[in-house]
Amino acid sequence: MAEPAKIQLLTRKAGQAGFQIHEIDSDQAFLGFRPRRVAKEVWEITAQPRSPDGRRNFILRNLQRDRYLLIDTQESFLWELFDGSIPLDEIARSCRQKFGAFDYAMVRQLLAKLYQAGLLIERENFALQQSLARRHGTYWEMGLNSAAKYWRRISFTVPNADRLCGGIYRYGGFVLFNPLMLGLTIVLAILAGIAALRLSPQAMQFTQLLAAIPWRSGAIMLAALLAVSMMHVTVHALACKAYSRRVRGIGFFLLQGVLPTFYADVTDIFMSTRRARVVVDLAGPLVELFLGSVAFLVAYQAQPGVGQAFLFGLGVLLWEGALINLYPFNFLELDGYNIVADLLAMPTLRQQALTLAPQLPRRLIHPRGLSKAEWIQIAYLLLCLISVLIYLIAHLDFVRGLLPSWK
Amino acid sequence: MPPRAEFLTKVVLFQDLETEALATLAPLLIAKKFTAGTVIFHEMDDSDALYIIEQGTVVVSKHVSGDVDMVLTRFAFCDFFGEMGLFDNAPRSATAHVETDALLWRLDRGVFHYIFSHHPEMAAKISYRLVTIFIERLRVTNEQTRDAIRWGLEATGYVSGNQSLFGRKST
Repeated sequence: MAEPAKIQLLTRKAGQAGFQIHEIDSDQAFLGFRPRRVAKEVWEITAQPRSPDGRRNFILRNLQRDRYLLIDTQESFLWELFDGSIPLDEIARSCRQKFGAFDYAMVRQLLAKLYQAGLLIERENFALQQSLARRHGTYWEMGLNSAAKYWRRISFTVPNADRLCGGIYRYGGFVLFNPLMLGLTIVLAILAGIAALRLSPQAMQFTQLLAAIPWRSGAIMLAALLAVSMMHVTVHALACKAYSRRVRGIGFFLLQGVLPTFYADVTDIFMSTRRARVVVDLAGPLVELFLGSVAFLVAYQAQPGVGQAFLFGLGVLLWEGALINLYPFNFLELDGYNIVADLLAMPTLRQQALTLAPQLPRRLIHPRGLSKAEWIQIAYLLLCLISVLIYLIAHLDFVRGLLPSWK
Repeated sequence: MPPRAEFLTKVVLFQDLETEALATLAPLLIAKKFTAGTVIFHEMDDSDALYIIEQGTVVVSKHVSGDVDMVLTRFAFCDFFGEMGLFDNAPRSATAHVETDALLWRLDRGVFHYIFSHHPEMAAKISYRLVTIFIERLRVTNEQTRDAIRWGLEATGYVSGNQSLFGRKST
C-alpha cells in the first residue's frame, strides 16, 4: 500500500502572533484511524436500568479526571471496539452488522465526547477552534458574549468537598440516614401540619407584624433561607457519602444559567443503584420539611409576638421550598425532576424533551412513529407547560387582588 | 444533425456567444446517445473531449477503495463535464456513469484547438466561461475537503469538539 499523503494544517494559538504548520498523515484524519481508549485501570462503566422503551444507557467514568459520560447501547458497543487495533471503517462495518445501520456523525460525536472526558489516548490539541472563534461576530455580539461569560462565572466551589463531606458523615452525619430519622421527620411533619392549621387563623396578624419591620424581617428570613439552602445541598452530599460515592463538589452556581443556587455535584451516584439516586434526591427536600416542621412547632409553643410570626413565616417558606423542589414539572432540574428521571431511567429527560419540542408539529402528524420514550417526553413537556401556566395565572390573580390597594 | 441553437444558448459555457458564433459551433459538436447504466469514460481513460447534456443525467464518481466509489457530482440538462480533457493529456480523473438515458454532445479537443486557431474571439469567450466554472467547482471541492478534514480532525482528537459531559448537580 502506498504511503499516506501528507496534510498540512495551519493553526494559530490563542494570544500568540504568527502561526504554526503541522503535518499529519492523511490516513490519521480519515477512516484508517484506530481510536485507542486509555488503560483499563483509568475507567469504569456502569449499566443503568432500562428505560420504558427497553433501551439501556451506561455511565462511563474517567477515574483519574473524574469525568462522566452518558452513552447508549450503540455507543457502548463502539467503546468496546476502541482498543487501538481496529480502524474506523472496520468499526463501521461491525456496527452495521450488529445494529443494521451506522452513522459516521454519531461516531465523531462519541469520539469528541471521549476525548473531552480524557478517555481516549489524546493528541496535541491545536486550540484552533478557540483562536478562530474569537474573530467571529460584531462588537455587539462579542460584548454580549463576554457579558454572558462573566455572568456564567458567578460561581464558587468549596475546596476538598469530598473530604469535608466524608468527615462530616463519619463524625455524626451518618445519623441522618437512619430509618428512625425518616420516621421522626414524618411524625414531626404531621404534628407541624396540625400546629400550622391551628395557627393559620392568625396568619394575617403575623403578616402585619412582619410588615411593620420589613427590612429586619426580610434580612433575617433571607439569612435563614440561605442557611437552610446550604444545609439542603450538604445533606444531598452526605447522602452520596452514605453510599460511599464521591462528592465532586459543593458550591454556588446559576441553575440553567439564570437562577442563583447552591449545589452538590453528586454525579458519582450514577455508579451506584437507582435506589441510591432516589435517596440522594429525596434527602435535600427532607431538610426543609424537617426544619419547617420544627419552625411550626416552636411557633405554636411560642409567646405571641414578632418571634412567633417569624417562625410561622419561616415554616411556610420552608415547606413551600420543599414542595417546589419536589415538584418535577417546571422545566428546572430540581430534586423532584431528578426523582422522576431516575425512576424512568431517563437521566436526560429534560434535554431530550426540549430537543424533541421543535420537531413535535411534524412528528405528531404520524403519531404511530413515536416511541414510548418520546411519548414520555411529550407528557413531560405538556405537564411543565400546564404547571407554568397555572403558576402564572395564579400569580396574575394575586397581582389583580393587590390592584385596588394601589389606587 | 447539429444541436438546436435554442439549446446551445442555455448552456453556460456558450452563453457569451452570438447567434453567428453558435451557428459556427453547432456543426462541430457530435451527438452521442447512451443508455442508463453505461459508462461514458472510466477514471484513467485517455481524456480528449468535453460532453454537454441535452437529455438525461450523469453521475461522476471517483474510486476510493475496493468496490467503493465516491460520488463527486451529478449533471443534468445543459450541464457539461469532462472539461479537463480539452486542455491536458492527463488521464481522466473520474468515471462518468449514465444515470438515465442520455443524449450528449461531444466537443473534441482537436475541434477546440481548431476553434482557437480559426475563431480566437469565440475561443476566448468559451475559455472565460470555462475558467469561471472551474473556479466555482474548485470552491465546492475546497468546502468538501475542509468538511472531510474537519471530520477527521475531530474524530482523531486533533481538534477538540464541543460536547458536553454528563453530570448531576443536586440543588
